[in-house]
Amino acid sequence: MRTVQSGASLHDATVVLDDRVILRAVNLVVGPGLTLVRGPNGSGKTTLLRALAGLVPLARGDRRASGDPLYIGHRPMLLRGLTARENLEFFVRFRGGDTRGIDGALRAWGVGEDMDRPVERLSAGERRRAALARVDTEKVAVILLDEPFADLDDAGANRLRQTIARLRDDGRAVVIATHAHRELDELAKAQIAIDDGAARAA
Amino acid sequence: MITSYRIALVAGRELRAERRQPDGVVAAVTFIAVLVLLESLVVGPQIAHEADVAAALFWLALAFATILATMRSFDRELEDDALEGLVALPGGRDALFGGKVLSLAIVLLLVAGVGGILSIVLLDLRIALPVHLLVVVLLGVLALPPIVVVDVVLALRLRARAALVPILALPVLVPQLVAATRGTSAALQGDAVGALSWAGLLFAFAVVYTVIGLTIVPAAIE
Amino acid sequence: MTETTIPRGNTLPRIRPWLGIAAAASFVVASVMALFWAPTDAVQGNVYRILYVHVPLAWLAYLAFVVVFLASVGWLWTKNPLFDAIAVASAEIGVLFTGLFLVAGSIWAKPTWGVWWTWEPRLVTTAIMFVMYVGYLLLRGLSTDFSRRATRAAVFGIIAVIDVPIVHLSVLWANSLHQLPTVLRAGGAPALDSSMLLTLMVSLGAYTLIYAYLMTSRISLELARQVRLWTT
Repeated sequence: MRTVQSGASLHDATVVLDDRVILRAVNLVVGPGLTLVRGPNGSGKTTLLRALAGLVPLARGDRRASGDPLYIGHRPMLLRGLTARENLEFFVRFRGGDTRGIDGALRAWGVGEDMDRPVERLSAGERRRAALARVDTEKVAVILLDEPFADLDDAGANRLRQTIARLRDDGRAVVIATHAHRELDELAKAQIAIDDGAARAA
Repeated sequence: MITSYRIALVAGRELRAERRQPDGVVAAVTFIAVLVLLESLVVGPQIAHEADVAAALFWLALAFATILATMRSFDRELEDDALEGLVALPGGRDALFGGKVLSLAIVLLLVAGVGGILSIVLLDLRIALPVHLLVVVLLGVLALPPIVVVDVVLALRLRARAALVPILALPVLVPQLVAATRGTSAALQGDAVGALSWAGLLFAFAVVYTVIGLTIVPAAIE
Repeated sequence: MTETTIPRGNTLPRIRPWLGIAAAASFVVASVMALFWAPTDAVQGNVYRILYVHVPLAWLAYLAFVVVFLASVGWLWTKNPLFDAIAVASAEIGVLFTGLFLVAGSIWAKPTWGVWWTWEPRLVTTAIMFVMYVGYLLLRGLSTDFSRRATRAAVFGIIAVIDVPIVHLSVLWANSLHQLPTVLRAGGAPALDSSMLLTLMVSLGAYTLIYAYLMTSRISLELARQVRLWTT
C-alpha cells in the first residue's frame, strides 16, 4: 500500500513567461481522485498543468510531486517518423517499465490496426488516442491531461471517460484541464477555477 | 548506468525516426556532395587537389552539414510537441543532449563517408595514411555535434534561428575545424605524428564539449 | 524549484559621479602622457603611441569577456537578475572595446608594417572573440522572455569564454606546424623604457576606470529596465 499519498502541489507559485505573469501566487494541492481545472482561454490552465508537471520554472514558490507525473498536453507529443507503438515503447522503456501491455492498450484505444503506421499517417483523433493510451501503459501516480477530449469522436470520448473513472477509483491523482465536459463534474473530487492566472476552488 | 541506457534510447529513437523519414540524412548528404563539387569547381581542381585545401573544403562542408542535420532533427521534435513529451519524462532533460549527440555522430559518419569518397574521387586525392585519416575523420565527426546541439537548443524557440545557429556555432568550432583540417592534411601527406597529434586534440575537444554539454544543457532546455 | 529573485532598484548612483570624474581625469592624464610626455620610439617614431590605446583596449576586451563568464555562472547558480545585468553590460562594453581594438590594430599595422592585417594568433583570437560577442548579443536580442534570455545567454557565454583560450592555442599550433611566417610580432611592443612603461600603466588604469564607469551606468540602466518589466 502506498504510504505517501500520491499527488502534486504548488505553493505560492508564480510563473512569468514572455514577461507576462501567467500564474499568480497559486496554491493548489492535488491528491488522489479527479481534479478539474476550468477557465476561459488564456486564463493559464495549460501553464498550471505544466507547472504541476515541472515543465515551467517558477519565478516564485515551489512545486512538490510524489513520483514523476505523466503529462499529456494540447498536442499529442508523439515523434513523427515513429509508429504509435514505437513511441509508446520509448516512453515505457524510458521509465523502466514493461512493454508487454502496449499492444493491448493501443488496441483498447482503437489504434490496434494502425499501431505500426508512422504517426504522421494517422488522423488527429487516432494520434490523440494513441497518446492517451499512455495512461494505461505508463504506471504513474499523477496524471495531468490538458484538453484531452480534443479531436476525439464519441467512441473515443466514452473510452476516455471510462478510463478517468477507472484511474480515479484506482487512487491515482488525475488533473484535467477543460473548458467543457460538465459530465465530469460528478466524478470530480475537486474543481479549480482559474482566471487571469489566479486560481481558486470552485 | 541508467542515464547511459536512456541516452541510448533517445539515440535509438532518433535513428529510427530518421530511417523512416530520412530527409535529414538525405539533405545533409546532398548538401555535402553539392558543396564539395562546388568548392572544388570554384577554387579550381588543381588547387583543391592540394591536401590542405581539400581538407579545408571537406571540413567546412561537413560543419555546415552538421548544422543542417541538427536543425532538422530538432525541427522534427517541435512538430506535435514531441520534444515536450521527452522533456516531461523523469531524466528526459539529462538524456536529450547525449542522445542527440550520439545519433548525430552516427548520421554524420555516413555524411562524412559520402563527402570523403566524393572528394577523393573528384580531386584525385592521394592518401598516404588511410588508417590515420579514418581516425582523424572519426574523431572530428565526434567533436562537431556537441557544440551544434547546444546552439540549436539555445536557439530553439527563437525566430531567425536558421541564421543564428551558424553565427553561434562556427566561431566556437574554430579549434575543432583547425584540428580536423590539419589532421586530415597530415594524414593525406604522410605525416603520422602530425595526424595523431591533431587526432588526440580532436578527442580532447570531443570529450570536453560533451562533458560541458551534458552538464549545462539540461538547465537550458525549454 | 529555484526561485528567481525579483529585482529591486540599485544603490549604484552614489559612486557613479566620483567614478566618472576619476575616469575622465585619468583618461586626460593618460592621453597627455601618451601623446606628449612619453618619449618617441627610436624605431617606429610617433606611430607607436597607438600602443597606449591598443594594449589597454586588448586588456579590456578580455577583461570584459571574463566578466561575462563570471556573471553567466552567477546567473545560472543563483538566478539573481543582477548577474544578468552585469553580463549584458560587460558584453556590450566588451564588444565596443574589441571592435576598437581591431580597428586600432589595423591603423597601427598599415603605416608600421605595410599590411592592414596579420594572421597572428592573438589578433585572430580577438577577431573570433568579437564574433562571439556579437553572437551573444544577437542571441539576447532575439529572445523575448527575461528569464529564458538570461539562461540562454549565460550558457552561450560560458561556452564562448571557455573556448577562447582553446581557439588561441589551436591557431598558435596551426601556425607553428606550418611554419607560416608570422610576419611580425604584431601588437608586440617595441622595447619599453621606464617612462613608456609608466605611461602604459597609467593608460591601463585609466581605461579600466572608464570600463568601470561605463559598467555602472549600463548596469543601472539594466536594473531600472528589469524593475519596470516586473512591475507591469
